Amino acid sequence: MDKTAELLPGTLDMLILKAVSLKPLHGYGVLQRIRQISGNALEIPQGSLYPALYRLEHHGLINAEWGQSENNRRAKYYTLTAAGRRRLRDETAGWNRLAAAIASAMNTTSEEV
Amino acid sequence: MLKRLRSLFRALARRRDFEDGMSEELRFHIEQYTDDLVRCGMSREKAARQIRMELGSPINLKADCREAFGLHLFDEFRRQLNYAARLLRKTPAFTATALLTLAVCLGANLTIFGVIDSVLLRPLPFPQPERLMTIFNTYPKAGVERDGSSITNYYERRGRIPAFASLSIYAYGTEIVGELGSTERLQTMRVSPDFFSTLGLGPAIGRTFTDEETTSDTDHVAILSDPFWRQRYNADPNVLGKQIRVNSVPRTVIGVLPASFRFLSSDARVFLPLASRPEDRAPSRRHSGGNVIQMIARLQPDATLAQAQGELDAQNAALEVDDPQAKMIADAGFRSLVVPLRADYVAAVRPTLLLLEAGVLVLLLIGAVNLVNLLLIRAGGRVKELAVRQALGAGWRYLVSEVVVETTLLTFVGGLFGLAVGAGGIQLLRGLGADRLPLGSHIVFDARLALLGMVASIVMGMLFAVPVVWFQLRRHLGNALHSVSRGGTSGHGAQILRHGFIVSQIALALILLAGAGLLGLSLERVMAVSPGFQSDHVLTGQILLPWADYLEAGRLKFVESLMDKLDQLPGVLSAGVVNNVPFSGNIGKSAATVAGHVRRPGESARGHYSYGVAGDYLRSMGFSLRAGRFLTADDSRRSARVCVVDEDFARYYWPHASAIGQRLWDGPEAGKDAETFTIVGVVGGVKQAGLTENEAQGAIYYPYAFRIGDSVYVALRTRLAPESLALALQKVVRQIDANVPVSDIRSMDTRIADSLVARRSPALLAGLFSGIALLLTSIGTYGVLSYAVAQRRREIGVRMALGAQPGQIRMQFLALSLRLLTVGTVLGLIGAWQAGRAMRSLLFQVPPLDVAVLAAAASMTAAVCLAACLLPSQRAAQISPMEALTEE
Repeated sequence: MDKTAELLPGTLDMLILKAVSLKPLHGYGVLQRIRQISGNALEIPQGSLYPALYRLEHHGLINAEWGQSENNRRAKYYTLTAAGRRRLRDETAGWNRLAAAIASAMNTTSEEV
Repeated sequence: MLKRLRSLFRALARRRDFEDGMSEELRFHIEQYTDDLVRCGMSREKAARQIRMELGSPINLKADCREAFGLHLFDEFRRQLNYAARLLRKTPAFTATALLTLAVCLGANLTIFGVIDSVLLRPLPFPQPERLMTIFNTYPKAGVERDGSSITNYYERRGRIPAFASLSIYAYGTEIVGELGSTERLQTMRVSPDFFSTLGLGPAIGRTFTDEETTSDTDHVAILSDPFWRQRYNADPNVLGKQIRVNSVPRTVIGVLPASFRFLSSDARVFLPLASRPEDRAPSRRHSGGNVIQMIARLQPDATLAQAQGELDAQNAALEVDDPQAKMIADAGFRSLVVPLRADYVAAVRPTLLLLEAGVLVLLLIGAVNLVNLLLIRAGGRVKELAVRQALGAGWRYLVSEVVVETTLLTFVGGLFGLAVGAGGIQLLRGLGADRLPLGSHIVFDARLALLGMVASIVMGMLFAVPVVWFQLRRHLGNALHSVSRGGTSGHGAQILRHGFIVSQIALALILLAGAGLLGLSLERVMAVSPGFQSDHVLTGQILLPWADYLEAGRLKFVESLMDKLDQLPGVLSAGVVNNVPFSGNIGKSAATVAGHVRRPGESARGHYSYGVAGDYLRSMGFSLRAGRFLTADDSRRSARVCVVDEDFARYYWPHASAIGQRLWDGPEAGKDAETFTIVGVVGGVKQAGLTENEAQGAIYYPYAFRIGDSVYVALRTRLAPESLALALQKVVRQIDANVPVSDIRSMDTRIADSLVARRSPALLAGLFSGIALLLTSIGTYGVLSYAVAQRRREIGVRMALGAQPGQIRMQFLALSLRLLTVGTVLGLIGAWQAGRAMRSLLFQVPPLDVAVLAAAASMTAAVCLAACLLPSQRAAQISPMEALTEE
């Protein structure tokens, strides 16, 4: 295996919101975008992608609309709603706090104790 | 939350779009991915395999997506609904029985509740109706329970009782309205100016009456009801100021009431000021209510009924101080009572309605028990199927919801039929006289009632599921498979439950039957009461003589020429006229003073039924003469100061002597000698208000000239069928005055029959309910016993193979039913005794514990139940051992 990381539970929704926040995307696009923005480090389990998208849509965090794909096929495009934007902001902040705290904890040396 | 619900509903409403979209989206994903993989150098087949591995099964994926929207629950529900419908269709006999039971029980409940709702529960259509009170004078010791209020009361109380925000009086009436030649007789109300403000609902157009319009010279104004305005004036918005002729006097229209205005059951079309002369308002007229004028008041927001009653008592006490009649009034037990308007208005019918509601609830209970029993039996037949499914992995949650869906589907459909039965039932009740109940004309089958019915049926469905679920979950899975395959008997608990249900059904049906029996017997006893006169072959009708056209002399002349013409009418044996015939509903009592009678301590002037009669009224009605002579046409012509009293009156004043030749004054006080009336005859006592009237209050009949009123009743005795004279009577009256109509034409027999409607209809309904209850009970008993036989087929087969006789088998099942019947009957008899006690006030000369009624009810229940048991027992006895042992 190359250097892909396992997705932490609960982070899929956040990543989807982030991906969709950059530009309206169809489902397959979301997959590619996450791979791209994570520098090919994150592998999304494809079986969970669509249920997650439907759940986010049902909760009103993203909007789905039919549109034209780059190769002229009908495709369902997802965009972020205002509520989704708020959620993304909250989750990003929370994640950053957590990551900083863990990083700080993990970087501790014996002299600092 | 709301957002999610909306998104769920959108998905449900466009289910096809949702599914198509989902498929298309996945297809798109797969195609794109395949293209990408192929572009990277992978073969198509390999790519397809890779994708399937990563994506998982499309069916599971779609299911996960649906679940994200909450749609899976609905899919499951629909599946279970289809399954339940299929199962119910497979057992048409059960389904039809259940639906019919539900339809009848729910429908009957909706019908009776519809009546209760309109009459007892729904608030009157006025703002804060609970603050509306009615006030009436009562003189219990003079035998006058209810005397309305007087005009004097009104003027003395208005604005002087702080607990009342507003106080007003009204009187019902009928007037002849319209231009000469196109008159009609209409219901009217005369009201004081503050009547509408007391109710809190005034005219939609125009104004109310003013204080200046309450004298007899200035009251030429009128307010119209909305229906009358639409009918007569085509809803003309410029109706104000137009003239309307009431009793041939022109009046100016000053207002139109809103469509929602409805005072109690009144169907008044025209409202007039309740005008009076100064002498009508004098203190001496304080106690002259006569139950014609009624008073209503609205409590202040912070005042209580007790407070108002206290203030009223205090005012009465203060006023009576300088009343010359004070002692007599006090002796009569005089008080003015404040009572909530609505409760007072429906007080008379409340017990009957509550009784019927109780009866119909018992019916519902029987039906419900029946259904649960049938459902349990049905569940028993499916034990094996369920056990297999459970063994194959069906979760208990799924099985429970399956039961709930099935029972609820059943009750829901039954409830829909119940709505139809309820709507029909309300029509039926109209036929039985429900619209003549107080507030009865408000009874409708409306959306509110329908909604209640649907909610009730769904709740019932859920409740029915409880015992069935209990029955199914409680058994051990392996056990079930085992016991059924061996044809063993069912669990002990379930059997006790089923038998308990049968016992309670028998008991409840018996209670209903006994209650209906008591009502029926009571009705029979009432009908056996003699009205005191010969009611057959008498036709009566009311004639209203408007004041403006007929002053006292005019009325006398009218009556005289009417008598002359009627006497010549072919087929008429004799004819007479009276202020009010018995059973006409408008009776009032007034006081009389007997010359030489010394009042005992505490005895007040007594109220007696007092009438003016002309022609041969007493003979025409078939009164029986006890002593002296009847008043005849001669007396009315000569206007002699004579009178006839009834035996109750005579017995009260002269228990040991003859009343003939005694003298009395018409009024509460002794007057001049020249004003006495001499008693010339004594007639038998007559039921005036109804057959069940038991106070012997006494009656006096004066010549009509001394008691002229604005309405008279004609009574004709004939040899023919009385109704056949109706047209002739109308024709005669029209010949005298074309503008005077005859109304309320009925034979005396019809009047008496109509007066019994309040007893006949409940008895009829109770009989109907108990008939249904018996039918349901027999269905239930039959079902349970058939099940017991079917279940023990194998056992019976074995026993018969070992030599048991068919008779023994039959007896075994009959003995079982006898045991159930005995327990049910004992419980039922106890219940019936209690029910009888509860309905004592509705019974007439029937004890609450009537042995004959109870015995009849018990034997009828027993007969029906045993009949229902015979067939299954017989079937048990005919089981062939060979067949029973070889099947399965």
